[in-house]
Parts: sequence; C-alpha cells; structure tokens
Amino acid sequence: MSPQKAAETLDLSGVPCPQNAARALLRIEGMAPGSVLAVILDDGEPIRNVPPVLEAEGHKELFRARENKGWRLVMRRGDR
Amino acid sequence: MIYLDNAATTRPDPAVLEAMAQAREDYGNASSVHRLGVAAAKAVEMARAAVAEALQVRPDEVVFTSGGTEANNLALKGVLLAGARRGHLVISAVEHPSVLEPARALQRLGCRLSLVGTDSDGVIDLSALAKLLTERTSLVSVMHANNETGALQPLAEIGRLCRRRGVLFHTDASQSFTKEALEPRRVGADLVTMSAHKIHGPKGVGALYVRPGFRLEPILHGGGQEGGLRSGTHNTAAILGFGAAVGLSRARDAARVRRLRDRLEARLRELVPGLRRNGPRARRVCGILSVTIPRGRAGDLLQALSREGVCASAGAACSAAVAHPSHVLLAMGLSADEAGRTLRLSLSRWTTAAEVESVARIIARLAQR
Ligand SMILES: Cc1ncc(COP(=O)(O)O)c(C=O)c1O
Repeated sequence: MSPQKAAETLDLSGVPCPQNAARALLRIEGMAPGSVLAVILDDGEPIRNVPPVLEAEGHKELFRARENKGWRLVMRRGDR
Repeated sequence: MIYLDNAATTRPDPAVLEAMAQAREDYGNASSVHRLGVAAAKAVEMARAAVAEALQVRPDEVVFTSGGTEANNLALKGVLLAGARRGHLVISAVEHPSVLEPARALQRLGCRLSLVGTDSDGVIDLSALAKLLTERTSLVSVMHANNETGALQPLAEIGRLCRRRGVLFHTDASQSFTKEALEPRRVGADLVTMSAHKIHGPKGVGALYVRPGFRLEPILHGGGQEGGLRSGTHNTAAILGFGAAVGLSRARDAARVRRLRDRLEARLRELVPGLRRNGPRARRVCGILSVTIPRGRAGDLLQALSREGVCASAGAACSAAVAHPSHVLLAMGLSADEAGRTLRLSLSRWTTAAEVESVARIIARLAQR
C-alpha cells in the first residue's frame, strides 16, 4: 500500500504539539531533497497539526495510515 | 584583566549571544501551535538535540531547567517525593550546596540522609558507599567533577553499586559537561545535571537528563511543559544559547586547557615554596586548580589579585563572601586554617599561556610579601 518505502522513521508518539512538528521539521530538513520520512503520530491534535506545518514548509504528504492507536504519516522532503 | 574564575561562571561565547538573538524573531511561545510557536519549538528542539547528542542519549530524555541548581533540586526532590516506599538518600560530603541543601530540606521532611566521606584527594570512599546502601535507599547523588578542586568521582563504579542494589543514581555534571566524556548509560547514571553558564553559555539555563522508566515528582507544577517535569514557558533565548554553547565545545579545547592548568601549577610550585595542590593530580576536570598557600589569607590575596586585574576565587564562588571554611576542603582533611589559605584558579578555552605565566608571577610576589 505504500507508494514509496520510507527510508527513515521518526516516532513522535506521546510528543505534544508543537514539539512533534518541530522535531519532524528538524529531521526532514536534515535529509536530502526528495527523501522520504515516516512519522509516527498520536491521533487527535498531532495528526491534525503536524501535516499542515510540514506542508507549509514545502514538504509533501505522500500518505497516512492508521497504525496501532495512532498514525503513520509519510512525507517527502521538499526542495527548498 | 585576567579572568581565572571560570568554575564560577564563564564569559558567553559571541556565537552564543548571536544564537540567543534569534529569539528576537522566534518570540512565540514554544507551546503554541501557530508558526511562531512552531519556530520557537524548533529552536528548543534543536538545542535539546545538541544536549542529547553530547550525552549520547535521546532528546526526550533531556529536560530543560533554569540551571544546575534547579536540575539538582528536581533530581533529589523528584525521586524522594515520588517514592513513598524507600526514603533514604545518600550524597557525598563534597557536593555543591545545590545538592547539599535540597538533601537537608528532604531530611527535615522526614527522609533519611547519609553522607559519604572522601579521601585526602576528595575522591569518595566506595566501600563506605557500598555499606550505606540498603533496600530502603532511594537515590545516590555524587557529583562528576568537584567545583572547588576539580576532582572526578568514579561514576562507573558508583553506578555499578547502585544498580546492584536497585538504587537510582544522580550525578551533578555541572562542572564536567562537554569537558569530560560522560555517557549516562555507560556509567549507569539515571539522572545527570548540566548547567550552561559553565561552558560559555548563558546563565539561568541548564538541563537534567532523566532516564525513562521511573517516576519523578515535578517541583514546578503548571502547564505541563517538558513532559510535565518542568512547567513554565520555555526560556527560548537561553535555551538557544545553551544549545549553541554545547555545539561550540571541542575536546581539543579541554586538552589545551588541561596543559595550561598543569603549567600554572608547575610554575606556582616553582615560585612559591610550600604551596600545595588540592585534589588528584590526574583524575581532575581540565580547568580547575586549587592551591593552598603556605601563609597569609586567601581573602587578602584575592583582594590584592583583584587590584592587579586578576579574578579568582577562594574555594567556591558562592561561599566567597561567607566566612566559614569550605566543607569540601574540610571533608578532604584540611584544617580550617589551611582552607582559609586556599585559592581556586579556574581556566577557560580563552586563557592564554601568557596569562598563566603572568598570574603565576603575580601570585608568587603577593603570596610571599
Ligand atoms: C558543581 C555545581 N553544581 C551546581 C551548580 C549550580 O549551577 P547553576 O549556577 O546553573 O544553578 C554549580 C555552579 O554554580 C556547580 O559548580
């Protein structure tokens, strides 16, 4: 079901907003443009807040899927 | 001016001040979810990653505090107030007041407190420590490097003793952080205190490493920041400065500072007959030199040094204005009179060989008047 296999996974379960978004940004910005990062997020605020923050910085959501009680969000790093 | 009081505090690195200035733009609350909040949170997380990397731990295991004092208070009170089961605290006799005083406060609240003594170098007696540990012991707190003598404690051995007894182990690494190799997992430390202003970072910020897996009662309750362990809006500017300071620390600086410190000691020994060093020769953090002069009073010598543009301390900075002799030096077996003749000279990565030579000569002249 995954269009692209994520090379790296960042587990942010239990990490509150906006700390989770901050850590996801730091990680993805450290990767090469085009790289794919999977982020594990809690349900609720985290899955609502984190994707738009990453997209606003030019990264693209590839897909999201329920995983255990939370979510697996897969993002591709933008070029800027 | 020659500044040899770096164990008291250090001059902030210009790059630290620059990093702090980023808070001009990133002034949001690091708990707000709008862009300025995320920007502030990102700055905080960057600093947290730098601190975590220096200890080889995970970022989630680093709690930012207002400094070493608060981190020490959180470690001691956090463990003792969380656990109703045990209630026995063991600390060394040479701890900084920010460990000693919370320990005494806990004792007034009904905890049992034991102090472990040291040898004449200020290194704790491991067999005495082993005998003190029981199934009632909650926590052992022994500092990494002593702030008056620089003496390093055998953390790995202490960690082993604690693990065998199922006792938590805290170490105050305020004086050693980034200067001595310290990996909490390797030495079996469950809690580690750090302070930014000892490493050219800003004053009023520090951190506590907290290994996951045991309960710690917060001492500041409120909005639940820092995983609920330290409520209060993040001091973004200070945390940014702390992160930058960690990033600027280099192992080769420690080696250079050590050589200069040893040079200072050698010159003082040559120029001031009867001068004695306190603390171990080798197992000492790089920047600290404690010496006892053969006669006179350290207080008078410090005043005279200050008039010549040299900043140093008698023992610890905090107690410099207080008349009673250093508990650290007394624990090592010095007399009150010897403690009163003791001077602490502490170097930084900016200390030069010329300054060392010049200070040695000035002290020699003043101490033999
Ligand atoms: C060994 C030691 N622990 C704790 C502290 C306290 O740290 P802070 O000044 O950040 O509260 C200091 C220095 O002041 C220290 O030297």
